[in-house]
Amino acid sequence: MVVNSLTFLWFFLFVMVVYYLCQTKKEVQNVFLLACSYWFYSQVDIKMTILLVILTLVFWLLGKGIYHFMEKEDERKAGLLTSLGVTIGIGALFYFKYLNFFAESIASFASFLGFHMSWTALHLVVPIGLSFFTFKLMSYVLDIHHGKLPPYGKTRKEDGGRRKDQSTPNPSYLGGEANDFICFANYIAFFPTILSGPIDRPKPFLTQTNSARQFNPDQLITGFRRVLWGMFLKMCIADRLDIYVSAVWNNYEHHSAISILFASLLYPLQMYADFGGYSEMAIGVALMLGFKVAENFKRPFFVLDIAGYWSRWHMTLTSWLTDYVFLPLNIKFRNWGVYGTIFAIMLNMMFIGMWHGANWTFFLFGIYHGLWYIPLMVGGGFFKKRKIKVNAHGWPKQQYVWKMIGIYLVVTFGLMLFHSATIGEFWHICERIATHWQGGLFTDLSAMVNGAICLIALIYVDIQEEWFPKYQLPLPHQINRWRWELTVAVEIVAILLFGVFDNNQFIYFQF
Amino acid sequence: MKMKKLLIHIVIVAGLFFVIDRAAGLILKQLYRQSNATSEYKIGYANAETTEDFLFFGSSRCLHHFVPSVFEEAYGISCFNAADWGIKNIYYHYGLLGNILSRYTPKVIVFEIHPCDYLDTPYSGTERAGSLAPFCGMSEECDEMLKISGNYWPYKLSMVYRYTGSLPALLFGRWGGMDRSLMGWKPLDGQMDSTGLIAEEFPFPIHQEKLKLLERFIQDCQAKGIRLCLIVSPMYICTEQDVYKVPRDLAKRYKIPFFDYFRDLQFMGHAELFYDYGHLNREGAVIFSKKVCNDLKPQITQINIEN
Repeated sequence: MVVNSLTFLWFFLFVMVVYYLCQTKKEVQNVFLLACSYWFYSQVDIKMTILLVILTLVFWLLGKGIYHFMEKEDERKAGLLTSLGVTIGIGALFYFKYLNFFAESIASFASFLGFHMSWTALHLVVPIGLSFFTFKLMSYVLDIHHGKLPPYGKTRKEDGGRRKDQSTPNPSYLGGEANDFICFANYIAFFPTILSGPIDRPKPFLTQTNSARQFNPDQLITGFRRVLWGMFLKMCIADRLDIYVSAVWNNYEHHSAISILFASLLYPLQMYADFGGYSEMAIGVALMLGFKVAENFKRPFFVLDIAGYWSRWHMTLTSWLTDYVFLPLNIKFRNWGVYGTIFAIMLNMMFIGMWHGANWTFFLFGIYHGLWYIPLMVGGGFFKKRKIKVNAHGWPKQQYVWKMIGIYLVVTFGLMLFHSATIGEFWHICERIATHWQGGLFTDLSAMVNGAICLIALIYVDIQEEWFPKYQLPLPHQINRWRWELTVAVEIVAILLFGVFDNNQFIYFQF
Repeated sequence: MKMKKLLIHIVIVAGLFFVIDRAAGLILKQLYRQSNATSEYKIGYANAETTEDFLFFGSSRCLHHFVPSVFEEAYGISCFNAADWGIKNIYYHYGLLGNILSRYTPKVIVFEIHPCDYLDTPYSGTERAGSLAPFCGMSEECDEMLKISGNYWPYKLSMVYRYTGSLPALLFGRWGGMDRSLMGWKPLDGQMDSTGLIAEEFPFPIHQEKLKLLERFIQDCQAKGIRLCLIVSPMYICTEQDVYKVPRDLAKRYKIPFFDYFRDLQFMGHAELFYDYGHLNREGAVIFSKKVCNDLKPQITQINIEN
């Protein structure tokens, strides 16, 4: 069931009506939300829903155990349970996503060395959303161990014991023990975000489950508008561009270099619209249910270097790995100076690459991006604030425009690797680009013109939000008072006119 | 914001949507009528404007194979090739027939039958009825096909949705595209490369709903007194399968002429007459049209006698 489908629309309408009918009773509302989330996920695979429930229960118990030992100041046992949680999370990821890949790679390497070794691939179905909810599960136990998150049901005053995090006091967690599991399970299984994120942190989400979400028309409208914008991005831009990009990429042997290059240049925009569109819809649906979830994209191509790009692209994944992988590694290798930071970054980017899938192309994708950090580290730019200066008219200065274009090309090359099924395919494509300049540009009038019109809308909106946030298209006064209603109506018409309606799967569902 | 205000805003959005959708829909409808882009012209003219007595129905093979001027000159009656490319199947053809019959009754329909009209082919299903979207509401049969495709209510509620994705073709279709003087025929210029070809197979079961629609197509034509003929064009290379048994049996049951040129030796294996393995080129189409014209003569003569 994809978010931009009629089936989801009926499901969500039902959920919303009953959800807000329960708004006087927090416990009922939370239980209903959880039941809907599990039902939603069961439409993907009922067996994986059972796995999800089991993992949720295990991690909830682990969380309780970690806190219990921390209260007793038994750091060793608390640490052991935390490590167990992380091992289970990584273990689940490894088993479903990477076992066949690594086993086959080892067998191939052994054969290369002359040893006979074979591996019969296990028929494993990767649970959709695995990469997202395992990260949330691990976040939970890690945050408890780091003192950022008492288990649900305890107030800060009740937290005796050592506290590493001396930040502002947590709001007191109300509710009895019986609510703990339900709220935590809602955090993990929350249906708007379970399939493809954003990867929320436990504290901001659990705080919101602490009280019943009241019907808020303003929030409903804001959420709806984000859903609509997400649908526009996905159906009118991502799916339109996909028609062209797939036609060229899946038959690259028959296309000229110029066509392959053009398709490659469109691919980052397709990815942005696809994943950014999904995130917008997820955030919008969550908002309509009264939940504020983390932002995931922030105009990622308006940046000056690769660090800027990753601070705006898939922000929740970047921040998760920064907090739980990069920073601990950076501290561990701090005696190595800048080389320690480089090493930590390379490992971090390698994990980012591999997170996307079990393929050496993703590994190299991560390494490629990691290498672009090295000039920043060595030159000292990594720790500097990167701000694009504007001219008198508010537009970015010319030297920054060239840098933005440069970063776009860097990202494009990385995504060529990302998009290739194998390293061999990537090399063949590069070879073809280098040698097959005869032949013109492949044209698909419908995909190109429809896509271009919608891209212009996206670029306009992104530029306005980035550099002219206070600017509004001038409208006659009588129409201006109905500005947002008009915008919504035009967006709906645009989706109907330009959208691709064959329910194309979101690219990030496969991760 | 209070609930009442929210409801007012929702009503305003709905109202604005209705106005913008209708206004844009009317503009798109006008552009559609004037378009020369192949599909838009063919589908538009066939459904809403044709008044010719002799019509060809079918998919791309029909579109490229039958030259209306040959039949007009031979029979002295107006002729239009109403076929369109894109593996159109019976879901489209039945809706098209309904739209035509809502306006007038042609004398002859020659239906280039294809296995996707009665077999459960994965590449040609109910989505083909989507081409009827701009004509939603024109006839019961058209609406029935749109309902089967699952998109009737969206098309009914939104005029813009009927033209989804077709804005470039509508904007630029006024230039180039079809030559209207050819009365719907789209010739293919070029000759095929016959190396390494294998015959297309159809390992698909009979699709009961399609078969029922095909029978209704025949019955509706007979009820209106239309002289219906089923025809199969030649292929460059043919499967050993008896893939046209179903339409042959139907033709026998309903006593309608069935012209089978599938393995016609005048065409099969003659690369110079083909553009690709399934489509005749310009030269092949003219030769084929003349042959069919001659074979159809008794049917047409019969109509003239009856009239």
